[in-house]
Amino acid sequence: MKFRTLAAVAALATVTFAAQAHGPTRQKVSESIEINAPADKVWAIVGNFQDGSWIPVVEKTEGKGGNEVKATRTLTLKGGATVEEELAKYDAEKKTFMYRITKVDVKTLPVNDYSSTVEVEGDGSKTKLTWKGAFYRGYMNNDPPPDLSDDAAKTAVSGLYKASLENVKTKAEKGS
Amino acid sequence: MMQAARSMTVLPWARRPLPSPSAGKGGGRVVRQRLAVSLLLLAATPATAQEAIVTAQLGNAVEIVDLATKKILHTIPVAGAPAGIALSPDRSRAYVTRPEGHGVTVIDLESQKVLSELGLPGGPLGVGVNPKSGEVYVADWFAERVFVLRPTPEGVSLEGEIATGKSPSGIAVTPDGATLLVANRESDSVSVIDVASRKETRRIAVGSHPFGLTLSPDGTRAYTANVLSDDVSAIDIAAGRETGRVGTGQRPYVIAFAGGRGFVTDQYSNTVTAFDPATMRKLGTVDVGDHPEGIAATRDGNTVVVANWGDNSLSLIDPTSLTVTATIETGDGPRSFGDFLR
Repeated sequence: MKFRTLAAVAALATVTFAAQAHGPTRQKVSESIEINAPADKVWAIVGNFQDGSWIPVVEKTEGKGGNEVKATRTLTLKGGATVEEELAKYDAEKKTFMYRITKVDVKTLPVNDYSSTVEVEGDGSKTKLTWKGAFYRGYMNNDPPPDLSDDAAKTAVSGLYKASLENVKTKAEKGS
Repeated sequence: MMQAARSMTVLPWARRPLPSPSAGKGGGRVVRQRLAVSLLLLAATPATAQEAIVTAQLGNAVEIVDLATKKILHTIPVAGAPAGIALSPDRSRAYVTRPEGHGVTVIDLESQKVLSELGLPGGPLGVGVNPKSGEVYVADWFAERVFVLRPTPEGVSLEGEIATGKSPSGIAVTPDGATLLVANRESDSVSVIDVASRKETRRIAVGSHPFGLTLSPDGTRAYTANVLSDDVSAIDIAAGRETGRVGTGQRPYVIAFAGGRGFVTDQYSNTVTAFDPATMRKLGTVDVGDHPEGIAATRDGNTVVVANWGDNSLSLIDPTSLTVTATIETGDGPRSFGDFLR
């Protein structure tokens, strides 16, 4: 399984425009979920950069550097595709971290220059979990095909975030 | 020195035709010049409040923000992901680029209305205005060219194009209107172009992926924000070469000058790095909003305004104390890439 399956045109785009600049319009997506569990419990699920298992499509996480800035990880997705990422900011006290994708095929996730932030905000027995992303569309040149457009990128990222947040909610509310 | 430098920083705004200044008081020549500049500025803008013209790229709008009251005065819908902006020499018009809608929108800032639109091929993004002729230069992000537009009473007309390096981005024109400088993002260089012949006369190597390009207030030096090498290059325009570099935060984007200091937005660090443009030494950093992009100094040089793309706000910075003095909410995805303060 991949983040998203795309038409063959995606592969072509990767090859042809790999050396070119990204599109001119960066996009953003922000998804949040309210979880009926304390923040510490939610942070225990999402707060280890070396464990991406809270993202449903992730099968395996391998990396180095722990939770230090510049730590790296490679997510292997169900189906075999990989995503390489690097930690940019990490604050255990504020329960937030920011990382970037350093390598991904647009067939896996139709984005370029992707960065994202995970935030855990506690309020007693409840927690708000937020996942925000900033990225350019998969197609680097002008007039993108529909599968690599700004909207396609936003839809893919938003879908990934929602499914992952739901998964964390289920996990956190299930256990004691 | 600092005082003199500060008055210099406001010179670009004094380019419009003005009556001769009355004699200033004060002793030395520098002081007299400074007062003359101040008087010129007062004469130029007696009643107009300082405004920021914000391109809200994801909101598909251009907003006119009053910096004194910190309120959005007008919201003008502009489709096509408006991003770049430049103002006419008399500051009555805004030229806004639309990289997705492929063109330029001309806005009359007096009536706060769209005057006209001009379709352009490619990805119009960077934009600059010739302070003497009023010609408008628009960079095509997807090609190796800058379009030349001539202002008309109705808007602008396409006059021609000038060959540049790859992915031309930031644009500036020297105060005499004779030289156009273009940062070539994918060519790691700056094109120096003779405005009269519309030909590139020199190409200057800079850091990796220069995006924003800003002139020193006296117009003798150009500075590029190099997004991949995380530094700012200084260029001596007359000598045609890079003279120095200063390290910045991550992904420096655009540069402004105020109070004799340089300020660059660090897109990935959510900071503004202050530097000394003479020594190219870092002076400090200021925490601003998420993904800061466009940056410019107010006419009086007392405030640096930053557009924070990520959290939809403007940060106002005191260039002396290096602190944020106010934050103003904007529409979605403010970029204001260019000369956006009126």
